[in-house]
Amino acid sequence: MREVKVLGIESTAHTLGFGIATSRGEILANINYTYRPREGGIHPREAAQHHSRVASEGVERVFRESGVRPGELDGIAFSIGPGMGPCLRVGATIARALAIRLGKPLLPVNHGVAHIEIGRLVLGCRDPVVLYVAGGNTLIAAYRDGRYRIFGETLDIAAGNCLDVFGIRAGIGPMPAPEVRAREGERFHPLPYKVKGMDASFSGLLTAALNLLSEGARLEDVCLSLTETVYSMLTETLERALAFTEKSEVMLVGGLARSRRLREMVEAMAELHGATVHVVPSEYAGDNGAMIAWTGVLQLLAGQEIPVEESRIRPRYRIDEAPAPWRERGL
Amino acid sequence: MTAEGREVIRIGAEAIVSRLTWNGFKLISKYRVPKPYRMPELDRWIRDRRTLHEAKVLHEAKKRDVRCPAVVLIDRSRSEIYMTEIEGKELKKCLGELPVRKVGKLASQLGEMVAKMHISGIAHGDLTTSNIIMDQEGRLYLVDFGLSSFTDEVEDLAVDIHLLDRSLESMHTEVREEFMRSFLKRYSEVAGREFTMKIMRKVKEIRMRGRYVEERRREVRNSYNQ
Repeated sequence: MREVKVLGIESTAHTLGFGIATSRGEILANINYTYRPREGGIHPREAAQHHSRVASEGVERVFRESGVRPGELDGIAFSIGPGMGPCLRVGATIARALAIRLGKPLLPVNHGVAHIEIGRLVLGCRDPVVLYVAGGNTLIAAYRDGRYRIFGETLDIAAGNCLDVFGIRAGIGPMPAPEVRAREGERFHPLPYKVKGMDASFSGLLTAALNLLSEGARLEDVCLSLTETVYSMLTETLERALAFTEKSEVMLVGGLARSRRLREMVEAMAELHGATVHVVPSEYAGDNGAMIAWTGVLQLLAGQEIPVEESRIRPRYRIDEAPAPWRERGL
Repeated sequence: MTAEGREVIRIGAEAIVSRLTWNGFKLISKYRVPKPYRMPELDRWIRDRRTLHEAKVLHEAKKRDVRCPAVVLIDRSRSEIYMTEIEGKELKKCLGELPVRKVGKLASQLGEMVAKMHISGIAHGDLTTSNIIMDQEGRLYLVDFGLSSFTDEVEDLAVDIHLLDRSLESMHTEVREEFMRSFLKRYSEVAGREFTMKIMRKVKEIRMRGRYVEERRREVRNSYNQ
């Protein structure tokens, strides 16, 4: 089979990323620009403005650093969703323009699927149960019958969001600050632990942790109690999904995969079930362009290109709505 | 407790369920195992709380005339509940073999029981056909209250009905419609029309959010902007 090269563009939230991947599984470039708000959380419009500002520099750099000429590309992939509308539109616009200009196929990538596929590529897992945890997403998925199915998910806010918002409101900033402070924690306070089957709820927990803090509890103790509770809930729902699906690999992807403590817990849990744990390396844990490029390669090989007219962004695109036909072929 | 012939019947993600005899009584033990990945304080707290909660719900459900296991003993030091064994077959395993006219009767019996439970503010939390047992006389019992809650939220109650319907949909497609019709008819007679309508509106909403449902996909597709 001829080798193909795809350019991938990520822009679902705070990161505008560009990557180039080949069908041999090589990542030739991975360039990411992350918008950091001066205070508070991500404002979608401000993030989109940031993306527009750095876009042309990013496009130039990705070609320069990879040594790939635009004409050599076989496709242009972009994250079509889920994500924040204004941010998604920036990436989609760049992708459409390049696809038209270069006359290359346009490939719509589901952001969550891309997190899973880059993990499978760099970790070499075959058929894992995936815990995808980040600032905007929390779900447990595994492949079955042509697509990734969601076995469990948050019933309200993302686990990462719960920790980020707590950190910001407590004045220490988003993750990893709450986890770093938790290491000095001594006393554990019980907080609402809400697991329903393979689903979990985090918003009551956030409120309770903030209340605890305002009642005068030590910051480090609240950080300890909060992070331990969040990670235990994630690990328990993951354990249920692992028992239910009877798979033998666990994979951790998304920004929160960087958490040392979460990884420790998942490893201890997996050991009980004789499963192996694979954690995505830090450079591919957060949002990045390479994951979109690699998933674009898979989609190109599976014939999933779309015409520009049908490339509207999909801010609420769930991973179980995205067919993954390459899995059938053992890719 | 001194007991003979402990036989493990199920190792779940959370608990080990075994069967034993005590002074001639057939009992079931549900032992919530410690999880080494959690902080010991948190682990003890969660297991203790869930054990007490489950025992309390079983007791309340019994008071409301819901057929379920009776709690015999709680061993808090181990987070273990001993309860009476319900002898019979899972509805999941026998529903397919029953004649259609019996299906309606069973469904209506279940409808009455679930309605009584719901108007007393108890949600089962995992109401699938594997957690409903039929005894030799054709009486139905609810088991495994591990995910149950005391609640006044319509959502929690609606989840019960949604889960029941989903388990019929996946395992007993041929009787699903008849079953749900008789179930809801009786449910509504016991719980009242208004209450039932409120719950059913929520059930529909949950289906729309659901994971594999076509209706929802269409809904989402219509809401894309740009």
